[in-house]
Amino acid sequence: MSTDLKAATESAPAAPRGIRQKRDYGLVILAAPAVILLLVFAYGPMAGLVVAFQDFNVADGVFGSPWAGLENFEFFFTSGNASRILWNTLFLNILFLAATLGAGVLLALMLNEIRGRVTKRFWQSVIFVPYFVSPIVVSIFLQAFLAGPGGRGGLVNDFFNVLSLPELSWYTDPGPWPWILTVVKVWHLGGYMSVIFLAAITAVPEEVYEAGVIDGASRAQMAFRITVPLLKPTAAILLVLGIGRIFYGDFATIYAIVGDNGTLFETTDVIDTYVFRALRTQGDFGTTAAIGLFQSVVGFVLVVIATLVQRKYARETAIL
Amino acid sequence: MNTIAEPVHATPLNSTDPAVPARRRPRQRPEAFTIASYVGVVAFGLICLIPFWMVIAGSLTDESVLAQRGYSFWPSPFSLDAYQTIFAGSRVWLSYGATLFITVVGTTIAVASTSGIAWVIARGLPWVSRPLAVFAYIPMLFTGGLVPMYILITQILQLRDSWFAVILPLVIAPFLVFVQVSFFRGTPPEILDAARIDGAGELRTFFHVVLPLSKPVIAVVALFYAVTFWNEWFHALLFISDPNKYPLQLVLQNLITSVANAADLGTTISAPVYQMRLAMTVITIGPILAAYPFAQRYFVKGLTLGASKG
Repeated sequence: MSTDLKAATESAPAAPRGIRQKRDYGLVILAAPAVILLLVFAYGPMAGLVVAFQDFNVADGVFGSPWAGLENFEFFFTSGNASRILWNTLFLNILFLAATLGAGVLLALMLNEIRGRVTKRFWQSVIFVPYFVSPIVVSIFLQAFLAGPGGRGGLVNDFFNVLSLPELSWYTDPGPWPWILTVVKVWHLGGYMSVIFLAAITAVPEEVYEAGVIDGASRAQMAFRITVPLLKPTAAILLVLGIGRIFYGDFATIYAIVGDNGTLFETTDVIDTYVFRALRTQGDFGTTAAIGLFQSVVGFVLVVIATLVQRKYARETAIL
Repeated sequence: MNTIAEPVHATPLNSTDPAVPARRRPRQRPEAFTIASYVGVVAFGLICLIPFWMVIAGSLTDESVLAQRGYSFWPSPFSLDAYQTIFAGSRVWLSYGATLFITVVGTTIAVASTSGIAWVIARGLPWVSRPLAVFAYIPMLFTGGLVPMYILITQILQLRDSWFAVILPLVIAPFLVFVQVSFFRGTPPEILDAARIDGAGELRTFFHVVLPLSKPVIAVVALFYAVTFWNEWFHALLFISDPNKYPLQLVLQNLITSVANAADLGTTISAPVYQMRLAMTVITIGPILAAYPFAQRYFVKGLTLGASKG
């Protein structure tokens, strides 16, 4: 067969040229839909960020609105909301990132201890279930726990009653919300993260653990001294991607849960929810675009820095 | 650290005594960490499932009892009022239709365009594949954000109140492009050579050779997209204002934000509002949960592929 191949390529020197031309044409057709969609719906809006420097109005559109210089940025950063919203965004995202990564690693280590393929797969499927529901559904689940029907207190308060603790009015007290949202994120994404880490654990060669057994290491020692260090590259990738999005609020989760409940804004209002409200209630395109540009630029710079730092420490795991 | 687990041979870590590992091997009692892991996994697993059960039980509990006694693990008195009221109205069928349209059309466009670009990246052509990979990767890091997208959809493309306003911004997920690329890279080169020698062009090779070999990854990618589209509500919230075109998630969201909207679903004001909210939740997640046992292994496979690319 290999001689056929050789013969075919040697005897027809003109053929590759003809084939190549046809080949390029086919590949263009294959790539075109995605390229066009990305250009319009991903790169188009990036170009649309010029709105941030405009005094945008709908009648004149993107191409006709007058320029406003940096006014839009000034308006946001001097509005008094900026520091609170930036802080909330950063704080919540760091909490979410740390908690979901931590939970993912821990769950993966625990799943790895389970013997029997069927049992392991069963529990892995169970903890993966929450990933399938939308933030809206998560919000309804949360209400069952924090605010019951007909003005009742929900399951958590029912539980507090049993322990004769005072009931709490969860939806009017902004204090515990960063932690509540973190618990929600871990519930929603913990299983998903654990599957990613479990895949990395499965890739570890068996000999590494055999060496551990010979050295008399306990299961816990093997988990924390052998497995955890080997999970670092995977965690690093997820961390870099997470850092890139650190200035994006988790709009879907937070808006689905908090919505327009103003009493909770103090601790839960993030850039994305603020922008969304500003756009809906005031139609202020310029300022909201300015905030969007700020998010993107900071996020991009952070990813580049994170990637470079990571590359310095672990070359093979760097993404770009 | 290991004294609790192994009271008999609490040996130092660097023990060189060859007899110790030999004696440890056969059928030892499970260590503390293993027991803690079982407890931890089962506990977290139950926490994952309990909310589902509470909402299902709640949706089957009579509204008045629900208001009096709150949630219970077993629905009593059993009541199908909420489901009857919801399915008697037309809104639920319309929104099911909307969600189905968005999911089916969205997933089809998404899988087709994602496979296409992923194959061109995976082909490893000089001057084409690498720039294309960067082109697909950048949107993962840098986005235009809400406002330009809003202007694009409503002013330039005039897609307000169209389901395509929900579909099109989401049809290329860079992460899934790379999941597919890493799978495509594993296509045996001999098969491609054979196809080329038989005179197949790039399109024929892709559709008749590559795609049939890539069914597992296509299933994975299609499922990820399908779940995204099924659960989508943010773009619907922004761009769909005609209540007759609301997808399920948006109907559900309106039930949270305003109890009055519950009247939309049924016909009477005295409808079991709270119970209906829970029933609507069950109706919304039902199809996904029904498909879950079949879909789950593909998800794990997909994530495994995604993770191994690093």
